[in-house]
Amino acid sequence: MGFYLLSYLCIFVFILATAYRIYRQITLPIHVRWELYPVQHETAARAAYGGSYLEEVNWWEKTHKRSLFNELRYMLPEILFIRGLWKENRSLWRISFPFHFGLYLMIATSGLLVVHALVILGSDYPAAPGGTIKSLLDGLIVVTGWTGLVLGNIGSLGLLSKRWTEPELRNYSSFSDYFNILFIFLFFVSALAAAVFTDPLLVGAKAYAFGLLTGGLPLNGYAPGQSIAGGVAIVSASLLAAYIPLTHMSHMFMKYFLYHKVKWDDAQNRRGGRIEAAIMENLELKPTWRANHVDADGRKSWRDIASSAPKEK
Amino acid sequence: MNNQMKPSNLSKPSDCLCHIEPGELSPLPAPYEDFNQVTIPPLNPEKVKHLETSLDDTIAIGIPKPANKEEEEALVLRFLSGLKKLFEKENNWTFLQPLMLSMEHCAKCQTCSNACPVYEMSGRKDIYRPMFRAEVLRRIYKKYLKPGGKITAKLTGDIDLNWTTIARLAELSYRCTLCRRCATVCPIGVDNGLITHEIRKLFSQEMGIAPKELHDKGTVQHLRVGSSTGMNPLAAKDSVEFIQEEMEEITGYKVEIPWDVEGADILLIHNAGEMLAWPENVGAFATIFQAAGLSWTLSSEAVGYDAVNYGLWYDDVQFSRVAVRHADIARRLKVKKIVMGECGHAHKALTVIADRLLTGDLNLPRESAMVTLEEIVRSGKLQFDPLRNDFPVTLHDPCNMVRSMGIVEPQRRILRKIAPGFREMTPHGVENYCCGGGSGFAIMSGYNFAQWRNLVGSRKKFLQILNAFEGEPREAPKYVCAPCSNCKGAIRDIINYYHAEERSRLYYGGLVELIVNAMVDMKKPMIRFGDEPSWRS
Ligand code: SF4
Ligand code: SF4
Repeated sequence: MGFYLLSYLCIFVFILATAYRIYRQITLPIHVRWELYPVQHETAARAAYGGSYLEEVNWWEKTHKRSLFNELRYMLPEILFIRGLWKENRSLWRISFPFHFGLYLMIATSGLLVVHALVILGSDYPAAPGGTIKSLLDGLIVVTGWTGLVLGNIGSLGLLSKRWTEPELRNYSSFSDYFNILFIFLFFVSALAAAVFTDPLLVGAKAYAFGLLTGGLPLNGYAPGQSIAGGVAIVSASLLAAYIPLTHMSHMFMKYFLYHKVKWDDAQNRRGGRIEAAIMENLELKPTWRANHVDADGRKSWRDIASSAPKEK
Repeated sequence: MNNQMKPSNLSKPSDCLCHIEPGELSPLPAPYEDFNQVTIPPLNPEKVKHLETSLDDTIAIGIPKPANKEEEEALVLRFLSGLKKLFEKENNWTFLQPLMLSMEHCAKCQTCSNACPVYEMSGRKDIYRPMFRAEVLRRIYKKYLKPGGKITAKLTGDIDLNWTTIARLAELSYRCTLCRRCATVCPIGVDNGLITHEIRKLFSQEMGIAPKELHDKGTVQHLRVGSSTGMNPLAAKDSVEFIQEEMEEITGYKVEIPWDVEGADILLIHNAGEMLAWPENVGAFATIFQAAGLSWTLSSEAVGYDAVNYGLWYDDVQFSRVAVRHADIARRLKVKKIVMGECGHAHKALTVIADRLLTGDLNLPRESAMVTLEEIVRSGKLQFDPLRNDFPVTLHDPCNMVRSMGIVEPQRRILRKIAPGFREMTPHGVENYCCGGGSGFAIMSGYNFAQWRNLVGSRKKFLQILNAFEGEPREAPKYVCAPCSNCKGAIRDIINYYHAEERSRLYYGGLVELIVNAMVDMKKPMIRFGDEPSWRS
């Protein structure tokens, strides 16, 4: 039961930390525009060369045409295959791609494991169900699981050795940078060892997911931690889930804000609109910058200061 | 000797943390090999003996050395209080979210380094890496402002904070042109240009530290006198009167430049530097607008005849003041829209950044001159003879106009129509390289900073320009079209510095000059290559 308790705790921390990160972002005040082209929700013709709606004469009189299709067409290969890195830093991509894709496949495998558990619950447990869906899931779990583990091991070892051996990475790396990769490697290597030596069909993983969903019900007599490697894999995966959103590795999902709230945020401020209302609120904030020319005293608002002249030198 | 630098080195004692030896800069091709052994001339020790000079071979700000230990400590505390304010919404609502996101998510992969022209051209000196200064700030922030930071710093990256660190960081924030090329390649979306911008703000808004060209002679003078050039309204009107006369002399076409026309369709705002350094640009705009029959005006009110907003580069408060003045002048003139002349940073400042600052009737429509000009050229109101521009032309993309605003094609469509010898640089558009004059560098030339700019900051642009004209005979005049005053300033300086007019017959100018040069109505050419007219009447 100890394993399950740890996993529950870690999932709880994951949800809390992720929710906190997102909450913090969505409650920040609206900021000035700082977009960077190409902005991928532009029409395909414009996005191809990085153009914007500002290229149109009297643009404010027109409706800004946006293309969700174009945005998705860009984002999918970016997320799945890390296309940007492939284009700009090929040698790093060769290890970063297997690393990230390995992690994605692990997430996909976790999803499949949950579905698998639900299928069993929906049948006449404890009798093992058969049928096409079950067989399909069994097959898929083996494929995504194994591929993910192999890629993840290659990727994390590669990242580790590149960071350690190349001065331009090493000179900027701290203990935590190595620790993070080692941590992920520990999961990949232990899970792979468990699969290779004791559980090639990932029966234990399926049973563990089932146990997680049912508060510890055994499936086919499984109890977590039967092999050392399997136990380490469960503990490290659980801890990782809790740890990732606490670190810069949260970029896996925070990239949404980096792109949609900054890089591609080209929303116009229209009179009487939502953005204008938010700006007006900001203009009432009272800065305390201390340089003479700012002339802030904690009572004057941004609006007062912006409409005044600087204190002369 | 300077390579293998770590962020923590910034706080270590040394007279010069990063020195560029002769031969270390990226090599230039023939006939410029003689510059390959040239390096930045040493600072005059007499002139800089009271200043902080320990970062590299130049200084941009010229920060006075503190008189004693107490003063040093007070400055360190002041820096920390400014750093804290960068993360408070009352003080930094303008950039809080972008800053937090960029501070928290760098993976230290160095992909951005290869995109940075300063880093690449410097001979790959570590301190010029885009993430170097960001990482320094990140470490200071975590260690000195986060709870338990002194302990966690041992794990997440340590740095000592002392006056040397701070003085060097201030200088280092002026070795980046804020071109944001690094940000376009970051796989995560981190923007090191933005972090540099925030470092500059901290120094200016909290400590009153900024290059005098940007602050005292820049925004302060702009708001006090009317223009960062020092021209008051009377002087501006005089210059324009002179331009009117000159234009008739040059092209044989008489122009009337309208002032303060209430209710005009367009308020055109130039970078006032044009009036002094490139008056023909102002004249060419007037010629085109007049010939196309537009209803337009200039403003003679202080600030209204100078589109620049140096605050964009270092200070949100000064930025806001200038932007509000621009908008207010247009509002009182009751114009339908503001058209930004050929000035990239002014484009971005008033159109994009000020978009989330101006409310109510201050939020007037703003348009790029590239767009207005394209509309005119396409309208058929003007007749062109493209053969008048029958010389090699390449286009420089101002970062602020292109990468930060997405105004990429209008200027190209114009060139394709009026300049048969137009060819692109490699790369171009949103992937362009900065001219080296970005973020104020074009107007900063104290001490030996201009040499640093010409040798390091603008070097990549110079290589790109040479490359664009490869295969053209040396004696053929070549035109670099740069629709931005600051870019023109930087390109003028590289042409002069490398004797490129004599060696490669390189000339430069704006877009409007090319348009007017091809107008059938002109009796004489607008563009001359030295004494040689670009076409014969
Ligand atoms: S800013 Fe982006 S590209 Fe540069 S080191 Fe950080 S993550 Fe990599
Ligand atoms: S903004 Fe431009 S100059 Fe500055 S670090 Fe990035 S690429 Fe280099």
